[in-house]
Amino acid sequence: MTPIITAVLVLSALSGILTLLLLVAEFFFANYGECTIDVNKGDKTYKVEGGASLLTSLASQKLFLPSGCGGRGSCGTCKCRVLDGGGPLLPTETPYLNDEEQKSDVRLACQVKVRSDIKIEVPEELLSIKEFETVIESITDFTHDIKGLRFKLPEGETIKFKAGQFANLFSKPYEDVKEETSRAYSISSSPSDNKAIELVVRYVPNGMVTTYVFKHLKQGDKARLIGPFGEFFLRDTSREIVCIAGGSGLAPIRSIVLDMIDRGISNRKATFFFGAVSQRDLYYVEEFKAIEKEHPWFRFVPALSKDDSDHPYEKGIITDVVARNYGDMKDLEAYLCGSPGMIDACCKVLSSKGMPADRIYYDKFS
Amino acid sequence: MKQTPELDRVQEKMRPGVLTLKGFLGNDDRKLADIIAADQQALLRLRINADQIAERLQDLADRGADLMEQEVQVDNRYLIRVRDDRGKIPSPWEDGLFEKGDVDLVDQQTGKALKWNRLTLRLIAKHRFFGGYGSEYRIDPDVAYEILALKPFVDRSPEAI
Repeated sequence: MTPIITAVLVLSALSGILTLLLLVAEFFFANYGECTIDVNKGDKTYKVEGGASLLTSLASQKLFLPSGCGGRGSCGTCKCRVLDGGGPLLPTETPYLNDEEQKSDVRLACQVKVRSDIKIEVPEELLSIKEFETVIESITDFTHDIKGLRFKLPEGETIKFKAGQFANLFSKPYEDVKEETSRAYSISSSPSDNKAIELVVRYVPNGMVTTYVFKHLKQGDKARLIGPFGEFFLRDTSREIVCIAGGSGLAPIRSIVLDMIDRGISNRKATFFFGAVSQRDLYYVEEFKAIEKEHPWFRFVPALSKDDSDHPYEKGIITDVVARNYGDMKDLEAYLCGSPGMIDACCKVLSSKGMPADRIYYDKFS
Repeated sequence: MKQTPELDRVQEKMRPGVLTLKGFLGNDDRKLADIIAADQQALLRLRINADQIAERLQDLADRGADLMEQEVQVDNRYLIRVRDDRGKIPSPWEDGLFEKGDVDLVDQQTGKALKWNRLTLRLIAKHRFFGGYGSEYRIDPDVAYEILALKPFVDRSPEAI
């Protein structure tokens, strides 16, 4: 009996010592202390407590990398170059990085842990991205499945963005959704209206953020926004432009047109083709018609693809309507925003009319 | 089929509110391995395979695409509406991101309906997952066999299913 009790006691003592050793090791080795994140070769440096992910550490310093999944490693959008201190590439990252990216030290910021001083490189424009704690000033029902939201920025704060860019809107936990979730929405207001942000949101069946917007968000509520993001904006040329959008794709085009008015750009003809299925899917028609009346350089062409009622709009699928309105389009440039299917179909039509591919700019909703 | 720790992790991501609002499992409380195995058995019984179903659904989706969400009749039998939405959905297996947007199909012969998206097809083709009972995106093999007019698969080895 005594040897058994002795063995149990020895084993317990050994386990206790091992646990103690692990705790001591964790204190010394897993306590990374203060680490420095160097961004773009010294453009910005941040001192952070080591141990968190690079994405979280940067966000704590108000540098926001785009992220569609909130850092769960499932969207692959929080990419940046890690030049030094990022440790080895992880198996959780490789599905989201192509060979070229892997060779160029591109990493997923949500998977890289800050364990020592680290040097990274991010696109310059990300440095101007800000976080805003806003208040919902108004919510407007535009159509049966599209709402317009106006977010008032905190007193004294302004946003600087290019017409056409987007922002990420965060939903709060609700129903089965236990964590804050964010999705991207195009800004529909003009950059000159810089004390507020307007977004257009189309309801996505089972969408986590659009369901929150449509069923839970109310006027006066607080809402978190991060932005601006995106490479979709009016290029500084003198070419005639054609804009094509469907559904909530109207948002960035509205921002671009309002911006052209605010900046006094009247030397460029602009035509906006807005495709919808039926009259119930149209919105902002009165506003665009008023702009058309006041500004001779602008033309608004709503088109309905399936509405047999008597209406004053063009009939047919938007690509057909664009095709019959133009001959040669080689000297124009195009701005498209809508579903991937619509963008692909538009690109085919524009190319067939002679427009070079590098003059077709689009926000493909993805 | 065993419920491995990996399947546990995948099943956790399939719960409502994790990757999508309603999740992938409907009201099905079986283990993911059992859901997949039961549908495999159905495929064996029907002598069809998962790729056939995924390819047929992709074909139907392609024929409804580029119509700006208009409903279209296909093969004199199906009413199809393809909707595109902004953004992408991650796979619960963490093997890619798939553009959002649902395809709604109604079979005019039987009145039965199917709903799927690009991720649904990936889960069927790659992981043999057809959705839990009660999930609106479930492609039940028996229903698919009935309304998609699939022909029996020639190679009847279990590996081909």
